[in-house]
Amino acid sequence: MITLVAGTLVLIILSYVFWPKKGLLAIFKGSSINSKREKIEDALKHLYDCEYNSNRCSMDSLAGNLSVSRESAADIISEMQKMSLIELSDDKLKLSDEGRSYALRIIRTHRLWEKYLAEETSVNESEWHTSAEEMEHILSNQEADQLAADIGNPLFDPHGDPIPSSNGKMPERKGILLTELSEGQFANVLHIEDEPPALYAQIIAEGIYAGQQIRLIEKNNERIKFEANGEVKVLAPIIAANISVKHISDNEKLIKSFNRLSDLKVGQSGTIIGISKAIRGTQRRRLLDLGMVPGTNVSAEIQSLGGDPTGYRIRGATIAIRKNHANHVFIKEIESRQ
Amino acid sequence: MNKISGQQFLNNFWKERMKNKEEILEKANELRWEVGESLHDSILGSIYKEASEITKNTVKTEDNKDAYTFDSKLDKVLTSKLLGFPIMFLILAAVFWITIEGANVPSKMISDFLMGTIHPWLKEISQRIGIPFFIDGLLIDGVYLASAWVIAVMLPPMAVFFPLFTLLEDFGYLPRVSFNMDGLFRRAGAHGKQALTMAMGFGCNAAGVVAARVIDSPRERLIAIITNNFSLCNGRWPTQILIATIFIGSLVPAPLAGFATAAAVVGIAVLGIVFSLIVSWGLSKSVLKGEASAFSLELPPYRPPRILRTLYTSLIDRTIFVLWRAIVFAAPAGMVIWLVANVHVGGLSIAHYIIQFTDPFGLMIGLNGVIILAYIIAIPANEIVIPTVLMLTVLATGLSGIGGGSGVMFELDSVNATADILHAGGWTALTGICLMIFSLLHNPCSTTIFTIYKETKSVKWTAIATFLPLAMGIVLCFFIAQIWMLVL
Repeated sequence: MITLVAGTLVLIILSYVFWPKKGLLAIFKGSSINSKREKIEDALKHLYDCEYNSNRCSMDSLAGNLSVSRESAADIISEMQKMSLIELSDDKLKLSDEGRSYALRIIRTHRLWEKYLAEETSVNESEWHTSAEEMEHILSNQEADQLAADIGNPLFDPHGDPIPSSNGKMPERKGILLTELSEGQFANVLHIEDEPPALYAQIIAEGIYAGQQIRLIEKNNERIKFEANGEVKVLAPIIAANISVKHISDNEKLIKSFNRLSDLKVGQSGTIIGISKAIRGTQRRRLLDLGMVPGTNVSAEIQSLGGDPTGYRIRGATIAIRKNHANHVFIKEIESRQ
Repeated sequence: MNKISGQQFLNNFWKERMKNKEEILEKANELRWEVGESLHDSILGSIYKEASEITKNTVKTEDNKDAYTFDSKLDKVLTSKLLGFPIMFLILAAVFWITIEGANVPSKMISDFLMGTIHPWLKEISQRIGIPFFIDGLLIDGVYLASAWVIAVMLPPMAVFFPLFTLLEDFGYLPRVSFNMDGLFRRAGAHGKQALTMAMGFGCNAAGVVAARVIDSPRERLIAIITNNFSLCNGRWPTQILIATIFIGSLVPAPLAGFATAAAVVGIAVLGIVFSLIVSWGLSKSVLKGEASAFSLELPPYRPPRILRTLYTSLIDRTIFVLWRAIVFAAPAGMVIWLVANVHVGGLSIAHYIIQFTDPFGLMIGLNGVIILAYIIAIPANEIVIPTVLMLTVLATGLSGIGGGSGVMFELDSVNATADILHAGGWTALTGICLMIFSLLHNPCSTTIFTIYKETKSVKWTAIATFLPLAMGIVLCFFIAQIWMLVL
């Protein structure tokens, strides 16, 4: 009896300490993150964001962004001034050159890490940002450069944000907000803002990703209605304002109507138009290597016992592909075999 | 003068070139923003376009319509909702049945020859030429006996199982099994081909770990490697059957004994499959999140198996390969087994001290000190756990007239005689049940551990694969034992 209780207690204590994310160890590790240097680095990021989006930054917006009191925000600002990272001119916070290049290095690490998680791991999309918020303070510049080299010096993070180059170059901001598009217009999603996380979670839950083609159907003060991958999505304007898009005119290469590979029933065939940007990293390369490039003819041959995966005939080979991937391959000209 | 200006010229030249290079790089970097992200896609697209143009003009294809229709018809049957599972179950059951039945006779023959004839013969020779007791025991009762034992119990089943399995693979049936099972494994975060490595693990975990090479996605491959140990391997079936016969069969009325025994053993194997799915799911959600994942599965056309080639590759690549690794580990372990039983300190063997020391812990998790020591020193192969347990039990209880002496592993033909030894060692039904659980959930044998390291090249994954099942086994046995003692 005593042994049983003792054993149970040991087990409970061990899981209490080591449980991922909620255990003592994880909490202890988490608390050490809020050091002064990291606060300053987060403040620099915020100021750079304001500058990039041509917004005005104030002590209040900084305090809100870092979720600290006004007093601590003032402390951070004076500390940054001492380090000559910012310039104060009539109550306006402005980055010094030094501060800007520091901010860009942090942003570079953040976005590189997100890109790495998206391409090289199977970490869930909702966890990219949180993980990058930690790594941006941990990785040194050399490590960030090594990481960039390892993943092929990417240009954009998975949200569509440009990744600053190692010498601090960033392209000009492009695109318009989804809310600025007119009804009936086609556009490509350029970028999805990942702050605040609650709104970001709603956007990715709708299956919207950078590189997706959309068409605005209806727009008013209550809702923004648009078509994406053949599905109608509705977002509140405040959420839609976190999505920037690039308008594409009708005479550009437009995919106006399409089906998905998963729509093919056994015996039907179609022609591939493309693979959605939501398929990333290893899986994307796998599909491309199998020859799933635009113009390829595919036919559904055989379905597994439970209906998923399905075997498709691609360039003379039968390859089984899971539904969650076939959902992201677009096809046209569906024909039924006689 | 001339020389210096030449040097200057060169310097300037390089300076210019470097400046040019930087400019070019700068320009290239700027242009990369313009080119955008889908460069890789379009390059691949154009390679494929070009390649298919070339093949269209140069390669003639014969229309092999008959083979194609035959394949689709066979596929329709093998993946049908009605027949798919029954066919799969029958084929796999047949493979296991043939393995067990087919291996019995040669196993007995090898064992009679190596242990019944050669071993006494070696002992006799060594006695005649007067080799000291110590060397004779260490080499003949230790090294030779352990190696011979491993060969006798491992070789025949593997030599039957691997060729059969490879034939099915060669014919094209196994990819269809993965295809059908993928739905289940997808939910566990794993790859459908894990069904194959699991089935292979029922033959031998080391071979199952090597077979995980067929999984071409890093995360899913690691999952398959780490969870392979949950497949009850060939070396553990006899343990399960023996212990279930002695301790489970006796719990129910005699007419039902056979049925209860079989149900208990099958139950353990099914429990292993359940654990392997649960652990796969847990791993994919936690420590293996950081590994890349991709899925695709080729369904090759059916073709008549190449029997000779299959025999050769499965015997050389799988059977001999695994057997050799097992012998390499078994030889030194045989030495250790002999030594712990024969080196005496203060009148008692080392084994006595270790058994005394581990006994309280062993009893806490429903086992005993003998079993703990046996699992430590018989780590090279699960096949020699029971012989070691019997030898140690005789040693610890001081029974006389049974077995071949201290440090000499043995097994008895009679189940009743074996039961008597175990009962004399203080075993109860609880010990039997916990041993069955622990035999399923403990560290892989050293051959498998070494193979996992060879395959993953990572100490971390090897350690996880080794200690995770062991921790699970200890925790599960602990609760079973404690609750059992509380209730009964």
